[in-house]
Amino acid sequence: MRKHFRELSVAAALALALIGLRIFAPAFFQPQPLLSLLTREAPTLVVACGMALVIISRQIDISVGSQFAVCSVGAGLLAAANWPLALVLPASVAIGAVMGAVNGALVAGLRLPSIVVTLATMVTWREALRWLRQGQFVNLPDGVQWFGLSQSAGQWTLIITALVLLTLLALATKHAAAGRFVYALGSDAEAARLAGIRPQLTTFCVFVFMGALVGLAAMMNVAQSPQVDPKSGSGLELKVIAAAVVGGVAVSGGRGKLWGVFVGLLLLACIAPALTHLHIEAYWEKAIQGAIILLAVVADGLRTRRQRS
Amino acid sequence: MNTDKHGFKDILLRHETILLFVVLLEWFYFNAVGPRFGSVDNTFDIARHSVEIGLLALVMTPIILTGGIDLSVGSLLGLCAILFGKLWRDAGLPIPVAAACTVVIGALAGGLNAALITRLRLPPLIVTLGTFSLFRGLAEAITRGADTFTNFPTAFLFLGQERWLGIPAQAFIFIVVAVGVWLLVHRTTFGRSFRAIGFAPEGARYAGIPVDRRVAFAYVLAGVVAALAAIIYTARLGQAKADAGTGYELFAITAVVLGGTSIFGGVGSVHGTLLGVAAIAVLNNGLVHARQPREVAGMLTGLLLILALSSSVIPKLLATLRGRRQNPKSKPNIQQTNTA
Repeated sequence: MRKHFRELSVAAALALALIGLRIFAPAFFQPQPLLSLLTREAPTLVVACGMALVIISRQIDISVGSQFAVCSVGAGLLAAANWPLALVLPASVAIGAVMGAVNGALVAGLRLPSIVVTLATMVTWREALRWLRQGQFVNLPDGVQWFGLSQSAGQWTLIITALVLLTLLALATKHAAAGRFVYALGSDAEAARLAGIRPQLTTFCVFVFMGALVGLAAMMNVAQSPQVDPKSGSGLELKVIAAAVVGGVAVSGGRGKLWGVFVGLLLLACIAPALTHLHIEAYWEKAIQGAIILLAVVADGLRTRRQRS
Repeated sequence: MNTDKHGFKDILLRHETILLFVVLLEWFYFNAVGPRFGSVDNTFDIARHSVEIGLLALVMTPIILTGGIDLSVGSLLGLCAILFGKLWRDAGLPIPVAAACTVVIGALAGGLNAALITRLRLPPLIVTLGTFSLFRGLAEAITRGADTFTNFPTAFLFLGQERWLGIPAQAFIFIVVAVGVWLLVHRTTFGRSFRAIGFAPEGARYAGIPVDRRVAFAYVLAGVVAALAAIIYTARLGQAKADAGTGYELFAITAVVLGGTSIFGGVGSVHGTLLGVAAIAVLNNGLVHARQPREVAGMLTGLLLILALSSSVIPKLLATLRGRRQNPKSKPNIQQTNTA
């Protein structure tokens, strides 16, 4: 109970928010909009899982939004060139992994701070994409949207994929050696090294894995519409960092649970629809998101300070 | 220790000379490519367009020297620009009063960053990432994403669009701030403490430096100058919009790092930053004259940042590797000092 206090308090906040919405905006719970809300958040959940691992290893990656756009457009172009979906998906994952490897090589290989490296790659990928594509949409052939299934079957496929991935990763971070390496690295890199973990290699792998997850998420996003928006994924980095931080992942590394990230993401996902149902203008969303990030880190900061004293 | 210091000074000297050389090279290249590039008008144009980013880079320097970072300056510029417009148009304040209020708001916003970083000991990057989103979000919410402020009086636009004594009017403000920051960082004990803090925060504390107060000062200064940059930005464009200054934090950080300031803190100079700003400004303007799309400039700035970062660590990394090969016993020694 104590061990999960942080995650449980987020879950309680989510429950309160849902009860509030039930009373003040019952329309929120109509099955169809709720299903499409969850479908929209499925790719975000996949990216948020990766971001949680990155933050647990005491790094950060703010280039995921740009990576997402590059992977989406890349996957869209391949699909438009009539590649079979079974090949487009690994290709998208590979594109993401390569971009993750660039970050990883700079951070782990040259020991540069991840915030500045990923700030640079964020802008480089985005501007390169804008330059090459001039903001054009990619029209997808038939059979790509919802993987050629019916809409509701496609939606459920995406949601279940995200949840299965979440479960696997949650188990892996708890029980697999590789998962524990990430926590060890984030808690104390020097101690991890003395315990026989190779810190630089682990960091590199975390960034590559992050990129691969972004590639998968981009594919899950491409499958949701008949066109690929080259601006898709803008602001994604803030959204997933917020989800991770709200869900109890400590920015100082070494602490956090993936199910907490899931609950944090659900809580954040409620904001936008709640705003519309409560007749607050949607322009407040970004400000509220920033305020929530700050509140979450302040709460963690106060808690660690109290524990110390 | 002595040889270290000497070698270090050498590198710094070399770094800034190389950068100066790069700026000149850029200048001559674009002069050859774009026919209008070298004209006096265009030179002033470059100066005019780089004042805001230059101001942000100047105040980013002390922050990075202390080992911190401020990602929120671009968003704060946007928020201050529209609050300035709001105070002038909707609250009916005269321009000087509105400007003064904007600067106070900038100081408060910087104070928010400072309080969270120094009081709660939160990492600067996550705090300023949060305020990055918060400030921009507030700007969008206040303007409902569409409201813009225009029709400022011509006396105000003079600041951003006209020349005074033959040079762009805003350049005077820039020169004053640049000289001020340079004197602060390089000629006062107060400013000297920034580097001490970045080099070793604990050591600085034991040496009697009020670390929290100095760090807080750097962030508040950044807020004040971001507000100043917002006013100049508004005067230059003649309008204030919620997206003002988007991405400026990247340019400012790039200029600082390009100028030889270590991203890990403790090492760097204000004149290096000024050269970094010049390098970026000339590149951006020159690419337009060379008929390249705007995206190329953004892309190159990102690549430039990566290159500047890499070039600063690769020699050190190679030296460590070489040292390890020559003297395999040196490794355990380092560990011992670390754990001690």
